[in-house]
Amino acid sequence: MNDNLTPAIDIRGLTKTYGTGALAFQALKGVDLRVDQGEFMMLVGPSGSGKTTLLSILGCVLTPTDGEARLYGEALHGKKESDLPRLRLEYIGFIFQGHNLMSALSAEENIAVPLELRGYSHRAALTEAREVLTAVGLKDKFKKRPDELSGGQRQRVAVARAVAGRPPLILADEPTASLDAESGMQVTQLLKSLCAERGHTVVCVTHDNRIFHLADRTVHIEDGRIVPAPAVH
Amino acid sequence: MSAAPVVDLESRRAPKPRALAQPILTRAGLVGRLRTMAGIGVRMMFHDWLKLAGTLFGVVFAVLLGNFQMGTFLALLGKNRMFVENAQVDVWVTPPGTRQFQTGNPLNDTHLNRARATKGVAWAEPLVLRTAQLALPNGGSEPVSLVGTRAPRFAGGPWNLLKGDDASLLTPNGVIFEDAEREKFGGLNLGSVRELSGHKVQVVGFTWGLLPFAPAYAFAEQETARAILKEPADKHTFIMVGVEPGADKAEVRARLQEAMGDTKVMTRDEYLSEILKYILTETQIGFSFGTSTFMGLLVGLITVALSMFSSVIDNMRQFGTLKAIGSKTVDLALLLFTQAIVYALVGSLIGLGAVAGMVQGMRNPQLTPVLMPEAFGITVVLMLGVCLSASLLALFRLYRLEPAMVFR
Repeated sequence: MNDNLTPAIDIRGLTKTYGTGALAFQALKGVDLRVDQGEFMMLVGPSGSGKTTLLSILGCVLTPTDGEARLYGEALHGKKESDLPRLRLEYIGFIFQGHNLMSALSAEENIAVPLELRGYSHRAALTEAREVLTAVGLKDKFKKRPDELSGGQRQRVAVARAVAGRPPLILADEPTASLDAESGMQVTQLLKSLCAERGHTVVCVTHDNRIFHLADRTVHIEDGRIVPAPAVH
Repeated sequence: MSAAPVVDLESRRAPKPRALAQPILTRAGLVGRLRTMAGIGVRMMFHDWLKLAGTLFGVVFAVLLGNFQMGTFLALLGKNRMFVENAQVDVWVTPPGTRQFQTGNPLNDTHLNRARATKGVAWAEPLVLRTAQLALPNGGSEPVSLVGTRAPRFAGGPWNLLKGDDASLLTPNGVIFEDAEREKFGGLNLGSVRELSGHKVQVVGFTWGLLPFAPAYAFAEQETARAILKEPADKHTFIMVGVEPGADKAEVRARLQEAMGDTKVMTRDEYLSEILKYILTETQIGFSFGTSTFMGLLVGLITVALSMFSSVIDNMRQFGTLKAIGSKTVDLALLLFTQAIVYALVGSLIGLGAVAGMVQGMRNPQLTPVLMPEAFGITVVLMLGVCLSASLLALFRLYRLEPAMVFR
């Protein structure tokens, strides 16, 4: 870890409870986690372990019930719902399980959307979009709509959308889930190399043990708590 | 899938970042967000052609039905108001209780003389209007609303003349008939001689479209009309008044009313309003046409609302993604409002074009829907209101959309 830099993610005693009273369900039960800037971390755990809840809080689409969470030193706890869109624009690029691209827009336009929300002119956004599309190997697909691309190509567009504009933190939710093994490996390798080159911090939630070895660090979560990695037999 | 980019595993394990990425502090202003969201909204609309066509059909239907019903109502209203609208008269002296253009208890010469003696009155002329029976060559008869207008002013005289003019009425026993009724009246032509209420008359001209609810108007010089109708010279259906240049019509009307308490005196505009009020309150026409116009708008509202709502449901994940990557509800509102405005404008344009074409195509003297120039502006504004209102249902759904859904 690099102790001189503000951690990209700093979480202490984080809890999240859904519902109230007898129906209350505690998805996170005091999570402590630190991720350094530039680190490529994989968050793994079984279904219902709290991975998605933790990712949602880190993605500023969900607020914690208790505890502290900081992105690049900025506290997420205590923030109002109306503050969250700003935080998402400022810090985060998302890669979803499904590519979640706008079906009516071309590859370059899909990438331009978050850039324009960040204040890029349309022309500058398209220029940046073409740069990152070239970087992910889709130089000849700028104008293609999602339905004209293969699954792997769509996910590469999603990777390009996440890294465009260089947001410091990339959150990837099961990025290989909808891909075959080969495509999944290629997309993860691409994400890893691209983020390393561009200086992004990456938190990648995955079940796919074939890509664990690409992580700088693998963090296991189970029943709402960070746990030591299970022994490999 | 095309070939993946080559990744050097060794260099991947020892990356050399040019610099660690830092928080992005720039933001789009309202105009930038509007442009982005409007662009996405329009692209989404045109991406789903079927839904676009269905929604536009709803708007076009509402525009067509609304304008057609309104135009027909105005045409029917015009049938009752056409005489007052076209008579070039400033003030009307009518029998007491008059609420539309119809005959009542006759006025007399005393009224006419008082009108002429009233300050601010430039001229006052009597008008005779009663039903006469036109004998047909086959032995039957058809009624006409015979108007007696006085030379040389010919106030209340014929308008929309296809053949003949005011001076034609000076022909002895000359009568101008409605062109649309020529066949019905037994094949009238210029110069035809017919018997009108037992009085021989000669056809000296034709009007176009002067078909009130009552029998078609026919015009004769007043002496001829009185002879046909056997109307005494001192009995008048209405007294028409022209005010002196610069005189205030309302003031002249008040003076006339004061001088003739046993009549109802109205300026031209008041008379037109009175007829409109009568049609709206005393007949079912206003209610009937108003209801169908409202139904048209309602159909448009429901169609657009359901279509936009269904579009949001179909694309929920995409909208969730937009929220997750930093859009606010207000941004999505801009997207929906853009779509609503495009639906309203395109739908209004197509609908108004269709209405104008239909009105032109079915133009006839019996009943041609009236499409006023104001209808274009009113339609666009109304459809903007309808479509923007319709988008609120979809917006409410997006307001409640949790961006966290993208991780589920």
